[in-house]
Amino acid sequence: MALTRQIKSSSPDMPRLGINIEIAFTFLSSRRRQTAVAAMGVTFGMSMFIFINSLITGTNEYFEKATLSTIPHIRLYQDNLMCTPDMLNRYLGTGRINLISNPELTISDNRIYNPGSIVQLVRQYKQTEAVSMQVSANVIYANGNVQQNGNVFGVNILEQDKMFDISSTMLAGSVNDLNQTLDGILIGSGLSRNLNLKNGDRILLTSSNGSSKSLKVVGIFQTTIKSIDNSKTYVNVPQVQQLLKKDRSYITDIYVNIRDHNKSAPVAHELEKLTGYNAEAWQVANQQSLAARRIRDIIANSMVLVILLVAGFGIYNILNMVIYEKIKEIAILKANGFAGRHVVSIFLWQAFIIGLAGSIIGEVFGWIISLAVSKIYIGVGNVTYLPMTYYFRHYLQALAFGLITSALAGYIPAIKASKVDPVKIIRG
Amino acid sequence: MEPAPALQADHITKYFYDPVKFQVLSDIGFTILKGEFVSITGKSGSGKSSLLYVLSTMDTDYEGMLMLDGEVVTGKKQDQLAMFRNNKLGFVFQFHYLLPDFTNLKNVMIPALRLKKYDYREVEHRAYEKLGMLGVQELALKLASRISGGEQQRVAIARALINDPVIIMGDEPTGNLDSKNAANVFDIFRTLSREFGQTIITVTHDNDFARKSDRILEMVDGKLIY
Repeated sequence: MALTRQIKSSSPDMPRLGINIEIAFTFLSSRRRQTAVAAMGVTFGMSMFIFINSLITGTNEYFEKATLSTIPHIRLYQDNLMCTPDMLNRYLGTGRINLISNPELTISDNRIYNPGSIVQLVRQYKQTEAVSMQVSANVIYANGNVQQNGNVFGVNILEQDKMFDISSTMLAGSVNDLNQTLDGILIGSGLSRNLNLKNGDRILLTSSNGSSKSLKVVGIFQTTIKSIDNSKTYVNVPQVQQLLKKDRSYITDIYVNIRDHNKSAPVAHELEKLTGYNAEAWQVANQQSLAARRIRDIIANSMVLVILLVAGFGIYNILNMVIYEKIKEIAILKANGFAGRHVVSIFLWQAFIIGLAGSIIGEVFGWIISLAVSKIYIGVGNVTYLPMTYYFRHYLQALAFGLITSALAGYIPAIKASKVDPVKIIRG
Repeated sequence: MEPAPALQADHITKYFYDPVKFQVLSDIGFTILKGEFVSITGKSGSGKSSLLYVLSTMDTDYEGMLMLDGEVVTGKKQDQLAMFRNNKLGFVFQFHYLLPDFTNLKNVMIPALRLKKYDYREVEHRAYEKLGMLGVQELALKLASRISGGEQQRVAIARALINDPVIIMGDEPTGNLDSKNAANVFDIFRTLSREFGQTIITVTHDNDFARKSDRILEMVDGKLIY
């Protein structure tokens, strides 16, 4: 409002904004209430845009983090191979053409050969952050007569801790205890409850080939993902190798974490070429979470689109009203030498002023709403409060969308205003 | 030395198409010299206003040729015509058509701010000058909607003068004023024409006003009679 007064008093120090802007401003300030309502439309749109984007991004990040707390960015493994003529060539030589008429899967124990050198190779790769070898097996856990199925993972626990931050989920004991106890085992909270096991108790593991081992519980963890807490256990690598009756170099998986987990797919592809083993990126292993993310994005975007559309109609509406009311003034401006493009400019400036005012207030409101909603307690599973993010880019995007919407909404009235025929209006 | 022509019209013909085709101007040709004060008169429906709007360059839907200040304006594009009007023409209408949300000063300044020939301070200075010339300088900072009809018409004349136009065109400039204010407006035009060499063309049905001007162009049924 200070600016209007300045224009009206026509003080010599008034900023020289140009006559089109000045007229635009005066047109709007003569219709303050409608201008405020139109700007509020934009404000509402902007704050919802920011709030929804902040929440959706927060949700996506939350679930991504939850996913990546149990699986690595990339998993290297050996799949069963289909027989190919190449394999036959290696055996029979290439002196003649070898064909296989009915190819079958080759028999293999899915091991990664010479895992140490593969780990070395992966470690040297520029994107790599952490590498961990492991061997896993399906087992039956037993304490007395009570039994339960599950998977035991033979790992270097310190490396895995670096990847998944197992330490932060420990209820009892620590990952170091496993490192120092060769026959130790870390079990999930669910398993501990079901089999009534405490720290220091012994648990019997039986593998599918009949061999069994008695291990000492040195720690209990809780990831809050029930299926994992009920079945997963960590032991030292040799324990699983022995359970499976394999040699000391038997390794089935190499887990790799990289710097930017969003680049997992291309990096996995390169590691596949580098090592010759199958490399699976976490997105491929968790396509349902990607689908969920896509759906959330679509819901958010369509809501935001509708809100912006409504805001745009608000601007369109007031500018049409301004044309209707100021048609004589537009005619006289044209008589006095304002060309069509000047009239367009006057109306686009009006749209821009409404858009800018609305957006700036909307940015603040968006932030306040985000802050307020992030204080709402949810308390389901391990979600305590709504996961909210505060990214500068959301605020920047909101501003850009607000201004673009305003400009588009102002364009049609602007063209309409520029087509006003002064002769018709002035002659009456 | 013979003064140069300010306006030259050749074979101006215009039709209205709504509701039926109707010839409103037929083959009009005349010349107005710089500094002349010309009144166009005629009964209503004679086509005098239609002629003025053709001369004003705002109406481009006509046949024939129009030359203003030595420049053929017939066939120019709308934006060029707008620039031409801004630079060379001034208008005074029956209603003042001031922008009510602006001060009188700003109303006068707007055409000059559009022209951008002078910087802001200079434009402001000139606007004060024009308002002073018309005796309404003290109203400069009032809103245009807050002054009397006679004052508004004077501000409108000041606005018409701001860019030192070659021609001032008036459409019933006194039509909405009482006799005292009407006489006032006439005196202003008279002075502009005599002392400042300003060309003035007004449409009027005020016979007093017409009689006192330099020349009368009378129209009957879309034709000029001399």
